[in-house]
Amino acid sequence: MHYTFDIEEGNFTNAGQASGNIKKTLKQLNVNPASIKRIVVALYEAEINAVAHAYGGKIDVDIDSDKITMVVADRGPGIPNIDLAMTEGYSTASKEVREMGFGAGMGLPNIKSNTDQLDIQTQLGVGTTITMTVFF
Amino acid sequence: MDDTNNFFYHALTVDHDICTGCTHCMKACPTEAIRIRNGKSVIDKNKCIDCGECFKACSYHAIYIKQDDFDLMDQYKYKVALVPATFIGQFAGDVSTSQIYACLKQIGFSHIYEIEHGVSFLINLYKKYMAEHKDINTFISPYCPAVVRLIQTRFPSLVKNIIHMKVPLDITSLMIREYLSKEGICSEDVGVFYVSPCAAKIAAVKSPVGEDSSAIAGVINMDFLYNKVQHLLSKKTQGESEPIANHSLSGKDILWELTGGESVNFDNSSFAIDGMKNVIEFLEKIEDGDIEVNGLVEMRVCDQSCVGGILCPNNRFLAKQKLEIRAQEIKQHIENNDYQEEELFSEEEFDKKIAPMMNIPTITPRSSFKLHDNLQIALKMVENIKNIESKLPGIDCSACGAPTCSALAEDIIKEEATIDNCLFSHLPPEKYDELLKKIWGKNIKPL
Repeated sequence: MHYTFDIEEGNFTNAGQASGNIKKTLKQLNVNPASIKRIVVALYEAEINAVAHAYGGKIDVDIDSDKITMVVADRGPGIPNIDLAMTEGYSTASKEVREMGFGAGMGLPNIKSNTDQLDIQTQLGVGTTITMTVFF
Repeated sequence: MDDTNNFFYHALTVDHDICTGCTHCMKACPTEAIRIRNGKSVIDKNKCIDCGECFKACSYHAIYIKQDDFDLMDQYKYKVALVPATFIGQFAGDVSTSQIYACLKQIGFSHIYEIEHGVSFLINLYKKYMAEHKDINTFISPYCPAVVRLIQTRFPSLVKNIIHMKVPLDITSLMIREYLSKEGICSEDVGVFYVSPCAAKIAAVKSPVGEDSSAIAGVINMDFLYNKVQHLLSKKTQGESEPIANHSLSGKDILWELTGGESVNFDNSSFAIDGMKNVIEFLEKIEDGDIEVNGLVEMRVCDQSCVGGILCPNNRFLAKQKLEIRAQEIKQHIENNDYQEEELFSEEEFDKKIAPMMNIPTITPRSSFKLHDNLQIALKMVENIKNIESKLPGIDCSACGAPTCSALAEDIIKEEATIDNCLFSHLPPEKYDELLKKIWGKNIKPL
């Protein structure tokens, strides 16, 4: 089962569309609520990251009978230091983004704690691809 | 526990003699419980939460709310009218509470109580419950039965956030029964009749969530009783300004049914949400962990809460104003000390006799989204739905008898409809260019 969503640069209002859509499907599949919540939180955070830091991108979601795989690929500046980015509270978000209530430096740490597998591939000036897996 | 479905009472009924199958109700239903079949609106009992949105949307008054036979009252020696403060709000500003009570007596009620009597006790119980459940941050009020059923069917993961306790209606009816038995009245002689402002509360009384039965003998629709009282008022035959001795309430209590009337009793972090769309939006956010409220979330599906109930004849804003003026007057009386707040129960008595009966053991989640218990099969179904949906025009025209294209796709998978239901499937491709692209542009795709 495959889904694709586009991420629009700088559009915070629309972010959450993918996670909302996936949530409904997971409810139809009767996946346990605790897993649904983890998936929705992780996907939403990744969506926000792509909106806030990158120039938009694409989300690919695959649902299997035992797990969900979510790949968020952005066209962005890339992450210079992944270890730093994984630190709670560390943020490179712009003043504008912070004023909207985002950019608290919890994005990646939150994604990590809500996924079972996390892979981050980044290339400066090209973009970042985050692959998240959650087992039901 | 799927057997709850079979016992789930619904107050909303479609009169098929009047229904034209116009689709208004189907499009208004927040749980997609309605389909048009054979030219008539049909409600899926497993999905309906008795919120009344369909009733509001129907232009033909084809949807009605069943009520108990009014003559049921005759079976009881003591007939108790349990009226919400909202009822008083239905009458014109110059009609006094005592005039309304006098009319109710003339209609045949021996006792009249307002539901909000139990409110002050209940607030303490809720606070205690919240303090005891430290693992939960966001508590959802159990007050609006449509909200409880909405959560059961659409937000099953939030069932645990509902305060598992009874509501003012249950508490007050129990208190009245205890009180009357204290007065030496045999409980078998007492029939408590609830005057309801909406369909959801009727359904809740008839099949209480998490319990076997309710202490209410019958339900009377508010508009029905309003007409009876209004009739007497217009004839001016009621005993003028009969004093209402035993039924005093605090001003704050009678505002409970208005938006914010509940949350105001809890700390600052509590919220009050009214209106179906707002409630759903907020529940989504709580479910996603987007919002965490360290307190109580009061939620009512009707705009302006219970004064916006579908059985309330008066305009909801006028009713709200009347209640607020009345609350102000009561407050003034209390300040001037010319008003006696009479308690049905002392706090000690309440704790001993009523409080132990206040818990609701379980509220069962009844997901209306779930396609199949087996995830493998459900996954296949989701895939098929997605496939079919991608072929449908996506304009949600409802001509097929389902509220949206995706609802039709789901119906097709469940073998409750076929692709033939979609009128577009019968158009030859060349007609698409000719007829439909003029209206919908290139967004419309041939089936």
